[in-house]
Amino acid sequence: MTDAIADLLARQPLWMENALILLFALLPILIIATLVLRGFAVWPLLSALLRRQAGVSMVFTALIAVSIGLGVGLIAQERGLRQGTARAADKFQLIVAAPGSEITAMLAAVYLQPSSIPLIEGPTYAQVANHPNAELVAPLAFGDSYENAPVVGSTPDFVEYLSEGLAEGRVFATETEAVAGARTPLSVGDSFAPQHGRGDASEGAHGDFEYQVVGRMPMTGSPWDRAYIVPAESVWSVHGLANGHGPDWDGSVGAPFDPRYFPGTPAALVKADTLGGAYVMQAQFNTDRTMALFPGTVLSRLHALMGDIRQVMSILAVVTQVLVTVGVLAGLMMLTRLLSRRLALLRALGAPQRFNFALTWSYAVTLIVVGAGLGLALGSFLTRFISGVITARTDILVAASLGWSELHLIGAFVSLTALLALIPAWLTMTRPVVRDLRG
Amino acid sequence: MTGLSLSISDLEVQGQDGRRILTVPRLEVPAGTALAVRGPSGAGKSTLLYAMAGIIAPVGGRIVWGDSEITGLDDNGRAAFRRRSIGFIFQEHLLFEELSARGNATITALYAPRRQRRGIRDSAEGLLGRLGLGSSAARRSDTFSGGERQRIAVVRALAGSAPVILADEPTASLDRPNADALADDLIRVARDDGRTLVTVSHDPALHDRADHVIDVVDGGVQIPEVLND
Repeated sequence: MTDAIADLLARQPLWMENALILLFALLPILIIATLVLRGFAVWPLLSALLRRQAGVSMVFTALIAVSIGLGVGLIAQERGLRQGTARAADKFQLIVAAPGSEITAMLAAVYLQPSSIPLIEGPTYAQVANHPNAELVAPLAFGDSYENAPVVGSTPDFVEYLSEGLAEGRVFATETEAVAGARTPLSVGDSFAPQHGRGDASEGAHGDFEYQVVGRMPMTGSPWDRAYIVPAESVWSVHGLANGHGPDWDGSVGAPFDPRYFPGTPAALVKADTLGGAYVMQAQFNTDRTMALFPGTVLSRLHALMGDIRQVMSILAVVTQVLVTVGVLAGLMMLTRLLSRRLALLRALGAPQRFNFALTWSYAVTLIVVGAGLGLALGSFLTRFISGVITARTDILVAASLGWSELHLIGAFVSLTALLALIPAWLTMTRPVVRDLRG
Repeated sequence: MTGLSLSISDLEVQGQDGRRILTVPRLEVPAGTALAVRGPSGAGKSTLLYAMAGIIAPVGGRIVWGDSEITGLDDNGRAAFRRRSIGFIFQEHLLFEELSARGNATITALYAPRRQRRGIRDSAEGLLGRLGLGSSAARRSDTFSGGERQRIAVVRALAGSAPVILADEPTASLDRPNADALADDLIRVARDDGRTLVTVSHDPALHDRADHVIDVVDGGVQIPEVLND
């Protein structure tokens, strides 16, 4: 039976599969509503009840909305963060670095996080660059910044590859030219003097040395949007190192580099000719002198850990929502005591017990459904707001939004709590009519 | 419409503590009769009315309306009987303040079978007009005076075309003019439609207008011979 349902779902388009799952999640409340409300017209009394208890109803609804909004907002945020970090690492197929922490190397090379990692030397870099499967190999040169944004040295080919074509201007061709990331404040034609170090560790300018911005990258959704990319040669030069080329260098920046004059790089960014070639290189450069890592693989390991956290978060979100709802239902039980005289009146007039049951249940479910709807809107707002904050703080474009999984969660929550709402409704049936009627 | 006759025999109602609070050896009320029940407070008048309505289940005896013995029914069965056959008027109106006069008058339509709802609404509309509330039927019920509210409660009781009207101190919360007007309306509407009316009341205005008056004293019913003959 379960296999048949799974098979049926798998054969549908994705949106249909998701819609069916949502319908399935909502099925319990639809069935209960049909059974409970059958034959009755509760709306006039229900609306009267909502108006009479407007304050309490709003508080209960707000509690449910906040618990749902926070729950689905956080889950959607986690997914958006995962997608954002994966998207930011998309262009980085393979990284070759000196042995050490894979995560540190990835954070430094992909997300431009300041870190102290050992360098790979010229001959090793040359082996990587000259590998038959290497289509593009670029060094990274860190150490400078401008107004707290990293100034990263690399090659023109890498800029072309990362940007897939500049949004404006051209790629740098000399040591004093730079390409600005999409979210930097400088325009083509502006100049800036790099500072040694970054942030609190900034140690001042390199004399009168300045770069002129000759091009701007399009948005990549990664921390590179906030960076300035300059020739690796100039970064090495201003730090008093060899510039990667021999004495007969003609001044053209970029590969090839001379291993004898190569000062070292914390990471070589590699694009292989094929996926198979990338695996060949990864295998060959995992040695005692180098480590080769797929950022995607490292990320997926991190995401797997986050996946576990997500499951815990999902469970916690549901538990929190159910606890809030149980609290609300407990409040409703007390409220039904306040309403007991009215309910007794209906019984005295001849209303079936099931009518009072339906009225109380529909009151509780109205609060739950309205709360869930408002929670959905709140979750959507929170998701956008937090995404904006994370994007601003990390420069990783996080475009989180509520998806089907959140709708499924809310659907299941509504059904579960509609089931729980049967309890206060049932309690109204056990009230003593005469005593309640006399007040 | 024809009211229902009432036949009570060997009725005994106990309080929660098991104390006997009402006994009625025998009471026969012909269909279409307007019966007033009087007696001191705490004597058991309202208990008798609630037992007649099936709201209270007696520990012994029989209550038969027409050919329906309600003492043999369970709680749901008695409620169903009330829906079909009894209109109840309470001392304190007991209206839903957030609803309009019309909303209160037609409240029984909310749980009546679908085919009867139109009839209840039409009947309520007509009764609201007869009792002078037709033009203000859309107003919230808490904007009406005490007398008007009790008239809305009367319409609620009558709108279902119940053959029996039970009223618990219907004029107690009204001033004299309003009490007289309501007593007139209640008796008139019941008689016009041939309904059986039982009203518990201290109000001489209602006693004067009723066909018969019985007394309840210390949980016992004193019945004039003419009523049971």
